[in-house]
Amino acid sequence: MNTKVLKRKGGRLMEIKPKLTRRNFMKLAAAMGATAFLTTYKSEIVEAVEQSKDYWHINWLNGAACTGCTVSFAQASEPDLVQILTEITVGNSGLPIALPDYMETIHPASGKLAEKLKDERWVNGTPGKRVLIVEGAVQQEGFCTIAGKDFRDHLKEAAEVADAIIAVGQCATYGGIPAAKPNPTGAMGVSDFLKEVGINKPVINIPLCPVHPDHLVLTIAAIMIGAMPDLDNYGRPKAFFGKNMHDEICPYRPYYDRGVFTRRPGEEGCRYVMGCKGPITWTDCALRKWNMHTSYCVETNMCLGCSEPGWPDKFSPFYKPVASLPAVLGVDFGTLGQGLLGAAAAGIVIHGVKRAVTSGKKEEKEE
Amino acid sequence: MATVKMDPVTRIEGHLGVTMETKDITTSTGTWTVVDKAYSHTNLFRGWEIILKGRDPRDAFFLTQRICGVCPAPHGETAIQALDHAYGMTPPPAAILARNILHGAYYVYDHMIHTYLLIGPELGVLAKYPPMVPPALGKDGIKALGLGSSYAACIQMQRKANKVVALWGGKFPHHTSEYPSGMTVKPTLDRIANTISNMTELWDFVVNVMVPDFMAIVSKNDHIAETVSTLLDIDFNGLQDLGPTYGNFLSYGLFPDYNDYDKWVAVQDGEEGYRDNALIKAGAWDGDFKKFTHTKIKEYVKYSRYDDSITGRHPSQGDVKVVKDKPGAYGWMKAPRYEDKVYEVGPLARMINTYGLNWKIDVTNPVTGESFTFKWKVLNPKGSVVDRVAARVAQTVLFATKTMEWAVELKQFMHDDIVNAKIPDYSYVPDNAEGMGLWDAPRGALLHYTKIRNKKIDHYQCIVPSTWNLGPRDDMGQPGPVEKALEGTWLPKLDVPTVANALYPEKDIDASAFGLGTVSWGDALAAALTPLGLAQLNMEEGGYNTSLAITVVRSFDPCIACGVHFIIK
Repeated sequence: MNTKVLKRKGGRLMEIKPKLTRRNFMKLAAAMGATAFLTTYKSEIVEAVEQSKDYWHINWLNGAACTGCTVSFAQASEPDLVQILTEITVGNSGLPIALPDYMETIHPASGKLAEKLKDERWVNGTPGKRVLIVEGAVQQEGFCTIAGKDFRDHLKEAAEVADAIIAVGQCATYGGIPAAKPNPTGAMGVSDFLKEVGINKPVINIPLCPVHPDHLVLTIAAIMIGAMPDLDNYGRPKAFFGKNMHDEICPYRPYYDRGVFTRRPGEEGCRYVMGCKGPITWTDCALRKWNMHTSYCVETNMCLGCSEPGWPDKFSPFYKPVASLPAVLGVDFGTLGQGLLGAAAAGIVIHGVKRAVTSGKKEEKEE
Repeated sequence: MATVKMDPVTRIEGHLGVTMETKDITTSTGTWTVVDKAYSHTNLFRGWEIILKGRDPRDAFFLTQRICGVCPAPHGETAIQALDHAYGMTPPPAAILARNILHGAYYVYDHMIHTYLLIGPELGVLAKYPPMVPPALGKDGIKALGLGSSYAACIQMQRKANKVVALWGGKFPHHTSEYPSGMTVKPTLDRIANTISNMTELWDFVVNVMVPDFMAIVSKNDHIAETVSTLLDIDFNGLQDLGPTYGNFLSYGLFPDYNDYDKWVAVQDGEEGYRDNALIKAGAWDGDFKKFTHTKIKEYVKYSRYDDSITGRHPSQGDVKVVKDKPGAYGWMKAPRYEDKVYEVGPLARMINTYGLNWKIDVTNPVTGESFTFKWKVLNPKGSVVDRVAARVAQTVLFATKTMEWAVELKQFMHDDIVNAKIPDYSYVPDNAEGMGLWDAPRGALLHYTKIRNKKIDHYQCIVPSTWNLGPRDDMGQPGPVEKALEGTWLPKLDVPTVANALYPEKDIDASAFGLGTVSWGDALAAALTPLGLAQLNMEEGGYNTSLAITVVRSFDPCIACGVHFIIK
């Protein structure tokens, strides 16, 4: 979408930025990228959150996690963690606008004090300002304990208090690898768990493995400004997960259209034949990229499909083309896809065959 | 005797609890509580190796990285090493260099994060060194007191290291670019140039900020030693008396050269060796250099939640059954042993197995030509908090330099193969094979074993660094390294600001910017900590201050997710 409206005034082109409203917050954020968006609208965002008398209380819980999402969050740039923690403050208090009351991996407190800060400071934070962020899957009883209490109980208690719940990364959203076959610990995502224990609260799912720091920073900002993001059927903000990697944004797409495929490491071409999951993956990785907009998976290998429910089982073996995966050609379209999927997969096969015929290369007739 | 618990131990990866039984010692100045026995409880189980069974052997590269998001890259590398071995193929020089660059940059990030964000805050408090304390007073605190200046700089700089990882891996955490016997990413001038420019900035940070920060901490060591010795009337030499283990150190080697690659592979085959072609050597130091062989590794489970019938096995035979409520068991980690003895793994083990007890690291920045020497004499040959931090700093200097050198060297191989020419295409997987991957993660020696049957994973086993360091007692009753390291650690019944004031009573900190006037170190800390609800930092039940104990634990850089992923068959 267009974020810049150009108007001619006095013979000069003038740049006008669209007014920031709750309605268009996430749309603008998605279109501009975190850096440009937060820079452009910094004063509006600061203004909107500045009147608050209390900081936004973050409770970051880790279940069956690898901590990759925490590490990814630390890769956020503009604003980076330092700016978030030291620059935007609550009035003159010197307190940051958002602060983790609990976050095992980086919080100064440990042991008794850590638990106390969560139970007192977070729980008693100003209602409306208590954000729960969950990293990692939820397992059956007995596989994950913190301070002598099962992670399930920690999560249940926190979810009952939380004013907003964000599940970050593939494990907390959809169960991820811990829930992969044979799911030895009965792992599941946060929203499934909350349903199971009868807590009826919306969960914002921000998948990918790990979570993209921009996605998380922007979602927190959206919550602060009261702009709840529009979610798709899987609880994902549409602004970030509404685009098909292969069809809409992949820079390697021209290779596909010309039937040029990578078949051996080091060859240039579309990664579809080697197993790229772009055709069945909805995410903005190819546009947003990672680590200060440096690269993303397809540039150095291929897409694994980690934004989708059912990952990794329905997306592996990874080095198998999408059309040959049983989950895709089987009867299980519904869980995987958005209705279009069956057609997309079939289309790809036809497309591949057509290319093979027209280019006269037999080996391109995959599977 | 009391029992003191730290659970959760924060600023590590994962879910760890430590229980300490105390004893009292009485001296002329009073009665003091120290740790008598310690027990490390590892509190998460996910069953990774069960999940791997039956999958495409190459999927292990992607899936095992997700064992740990702090050290995903080494898991990926070790999985690839096991696959190289199983495929029976050697990667071409371009791939070996590209791998080294990716992992060299990754190491710089990892050691920086640990030094500043995880262990640094307590060291900063102990040494009255504001730059290493978190920026608890915000931007103004950084400006007026330098409080958190290096901590904040580290957050900004580590991103550049990960930018280099992303250049060669697509993204970090969880990169995508390694393949059995090679890489899937091409060396391009753009990637090489970008690597060198980012590493130049990092080199500058490491040499001009990180090393001086560390030396500033060390410069207070004698003062800390004297004050604590006088206060407790004991003989305390300083941070080198905190956290000794057994004096046995194990490393598998790191960053192979493409020349003499046979020496690297021989150790995977099970031969004894030092892996002389590697930057960091393999070895099993026990007071002197000893060759390493993986055949001497066994894992014990008497105190772990697994059936006793499988105790004492080599990883290739590791056939494990979970017994969730096993009597006497207190953790999900097993207890790996080398020749049935307890070995410490990690940065100090790498340095000692490569350089012995006296290190002199001469480096020259290949871009600017600046030279720098990092010297360190190991203060406690059994290991200690300060020696472990020194080892991380030394390696950050070394690896930051080497990453640039490898990038320069890679230019001459830019147009070569990036995967072994024997690989026909992406569909090729050997029918039946087995492979041993041996690498060193920042936290220590890392082993992956894969057995392929009918092109699928039949058996997968990892023995990870934190299992060595954080594991429980073994069948012979020997405490694991962290359990041993905690013995004798002082648990003051004084809170953090009080200890800080005891160490530094002088009022010389100008906190007028915060309406406080000129105050002592402890008072300044109290002023920074209290609004954040942190006045009782590290105080546990019974009024015990666990700052020193938790620093001992953190000096091993624990990574619990790594350690607890075992197989049920």
